[in-house]
Amino acid sequence: MKALEVKGIVKQFPGVLANDNINLSINKGEIYAIVGENGAGKSTLMKIIYGLYTPTSGEIFVFDKKVDIKTPYDAIGLKIGMVHQEFMLIPRFTVTQNIVLGDEPSKGIVFDYKKALNEVEELSEKFGLKVDPAEKVANLPVGIQQRVEILKILRRGAEILIFDEPTAVLTPEETEDLFKTLMKLKKNGKTIIFISHKLKEVIAIADRIAVLRRGKLQGIVERGKTSEVELARMVVGRDVVLKIPKAEAKVGGTVVSIRDLTVKSKRGIIGLKEVSFDVCAGEIVGIAGVEGNGQAELVNALIGFTRPIKGTIAFDGEEIRVITPFNIRKKGMAYIPKDRKMRGLVLPFRSRENIIMGQHTLYPFSKNGVLNNIEIDKFTTKKLEEFDVRPRDIHTRARNLSGGNQQKLILAKEMSMEHKFLLASQPTRGLDIGAMEFVYHKLIEEKERGMAILLISLELSEIMGLSDRILVLYNGEIVGETTPDKTTEEELGLMMLGLKKQKRVAQ
Amino acid sequence: MKDVLKRIVFGKREKYWWMNALVPLISILLAFIVGAIFIKITGRSPVVAYKLLFGASGLFPGPYWKSHFAEMLLSSSMYIATGLGFAIAAKGGLFNIGAEGHFIVGGIAAAYLGYAKPFAGLPKFIHLPLIIVGVMLAGGIWGAIAGYLKAKRGIHEVITTIMLNWIALYLIEAWLVIGPMEAAVETGISGTPYISLSAKLPKILPPTRLNISIIIILAVTFLIWYLFYKTTFGYEIRTMGHTLMFGMEAPKAAGINVERRTIQTMFIAGAVAALGGAFMVLGVLFQYPPIFEGGYGFDGIAVALIGQNEPLGVILAGILIGALRTGATTVQLAHIPKTFPSIIEGFTVGFIALQMLIRYWIMKLIQGRKKSVQTEMGGGAK
Repeated sequence: MKALEVKGIVKQFPGVLANDNINLSINKGEIYAIVGENGAGKSTLMKIIYGLYTPTSGEIFVFDKKVDIKTPYDAIGLKIGMVHQEFMLIPRFTVTQNIVLGDEPSKGIVFDYKKALNEVEELSEKFGLKVDPAEKVANLPVGIQQRVEILKILRRGAEILIFDEPTAVLTPEETEDLFKTLMKLKKNGKTIIFISHKLKEVIAIADRIAVLRRGKLQGIVERGKTSEVELARMVVGRDVVLKIPKAEAKVGGTVVSIRDLTVKSKRGIIGLKEVSFDVCAGEIVGIAGVEGNGQAELVNALIGFTRPIKGTIAFDGEEIRVITPFNIRKKGMAYIPKDRKMRGLVLPFRSRENIIMGQHTLYPFSKNGVLNNIEIDKFTTKKLEEFDVRPRDIHTRARNLSGGNQQKLILAKEMSMEHKFLLASQPTRGLDIGAMEFVYHKLIEEKERGMAILLISLELSEIMGLSDRILVLYNGEIVGETTPDKTTEEELGLMMLGLKKQKRVAQ
Repeated sequence: MKDVLKRIVFGKREKYWWMNALVPLISILLAFIVGAIFIKITGRSPVVAYKLLFGASGLFPGPYWKSHFAEMLLSSSMYIATGLGFAIAAKGGLFNIGAEGHFIVGGIAAAYLGYAKPFAGLPKFIHLPLIIVGVMLAGGIWGAIAGYLKAKRGIHEVITTIMLNWIALYLIEAWLVIGPMEAAVETGISGTPYISLSAKLPKILPPTRLNISIIIILAVTFLIWYLFYKTTFGYEIRTMGHTLMFGMEAPKAAGINVERRTIQTMFIAGAVAALGGAFMVLGVLFQYPPIFEGGYGFDGIAVALIGQNEPLGVILAGILIGALRTGATTVQLAHIPKTFPSIIEGFTVGFIALQMLIRYWIMKLIQGRKKSVQTEMGGGAK
């Protein structure tokens, strides 16, 4: 019996085809994994199934019946449940309160907490998912919180459970536990759709694996009939769609040198372990790696958001003891953040206000603390033209710009600041091909102007095409250093997944 | 002219710029309608009540208009001061409940500087500016304490400002006014001594009590507007206010010293709110009484919310609240308690809180009309 079948799903976003004619059929009681790079279209597909997006065309069948899912309520009604990456729990409520929220048992008009407790206990026993129903969610570790999420959707009678990158937030032990949970659910006849980009996990747990790349279905493999290497090749793909122009590196002196940098992650565990490398003028150093392997910690330490627990960062040969965003920028660092809405822009601000952020205190934008609007407008008009931000209107609010244009605005802002070092953290995240190309050209221009560039990216093709040197980050450590002409995407992919280590040349 | 006004008041190139003014107006209107329903339910006439209320509010010409008008501006200046205190902090992403405390700190500072010996003998043109500066320093420091605790220790400003309100109240009422600052027994005055003549705010519309407080606060409002929109300081605090939801990461990453700006913003907010207390002491009471019936600080929050945290909006909202309070006593003639205007004020704030809904309704109305004119439909409302 087919639990879920999608036929010819197409989802067209402005400028990007997120899903291109996808056909899947998922059997009842099966663990079905969908893998692919970031932006491959996995999440889009799941959001279509869960009713958060409507497909441009295509059909969905649930338990062999053609359905029309317009909202998540429709999906829940069809016994489809989703465990989101960000949990939708109220920390101050108990496990029971969270699980019954929205569909509470009641005595007359009074919430019947006792009955709810019993219900949750029964549920937890039935599926073998142990939780303490009276504990506050805030006191629970992430793995158990996820279990509460699962119980929540099970209580609504979910038969098809979608997990959106469930292991991204878990420790290895918690991941083990989750897999046990998934097996239990499978035994109970539930159908599980598991989205991930961690190939090892997928191979360990899934019955079948569908690979998506750039919105297209690359193939479906069965359990035990593939290897991690083969899967990696399918995920990455050999054809590089984008042509990245090559530019000879004219390497100058060292601009940034990092030694033994050790940084704690937001969750309090060591996220970056004794990392050392240099970035020289006129070269692009690419950091390859799967997300969550220390990139965020590296970035935060470099811009002064997190204080490293060990190690030094030197700029132009001079060690900076306490890094704050202000003093590192003054030294000459520009920063393209991966999350433009959060770190790059002030969304309600207009282009003219956003573009001067960080240099607003400098002449000619202000004098004696008073802004010079005429100069700002002149500058903005020039930069919008130069960086091809559309619309050209300097009064457009950042929130009304498309992702690509927001990114161009950030490039305009950062690259017009006086700098020697550019930290580009996933600069093409969520961009369409055209905007990506623009970013590449700008990065190469910067390199030709003799800037030192540190490029952090999840896209292998980007790393291969742009970098002069490549460092591979895995589990907070640099596991390899190479150059694009000495390696292949396959080899890099293996290193990124921790399957292959390479000795580094001592610095 | 229209364009200049538009630029100043509503910002540039906004497609629906008038919405920013229309939403508060609709909220006020709705509040009056709900108020009328209340009056009707209790068996009295809303028409009579509103006639009395507005007749004595000072907003419209009528009998004794001059004195009503003066009284209205007198209390408005205080509401504008506390309203600005809230609005300034709000622009920087801070929720300042402390205007009440700043107000009384400003009042007691004004009383002290007004009667205390070394200052009391000074000529007016020195004494008065001195008091104003002193008051703003006192209020500013009181505000900066909360700012410091927020910036350096991460304690939420709502908690600290509320606590500082109580600390200020008890310091003043349980100690200063009945202790070191108490007037000598033989004068027969309760509370602090009266301020010297040189400390009184000059009157501008005799024989009424209206003094220069309204001019001072209008000038201060202009300065605050200038600060918000023309200076790098204002630019920085606006980046903070707009990115509050994202932990102010964007301004931090741009190298803006968020901690220092937080303290400075709270200093300015406290300084401006304290001016309100000085107006009370220097222009109305001429001393700090043993028990001071405040509330100006909390009404300031309403003023800022109705005025959408914009300087011009705060002025208009301050005048509205001032007018309601001035007219309040006369509604008793219609057998309605004089606290009735507070109900109106409360409802207005309530409707302001629903402004997204009101905006949505207006957008729907506009789009509905457009749809009926054109046959094809453009994109849906956001």
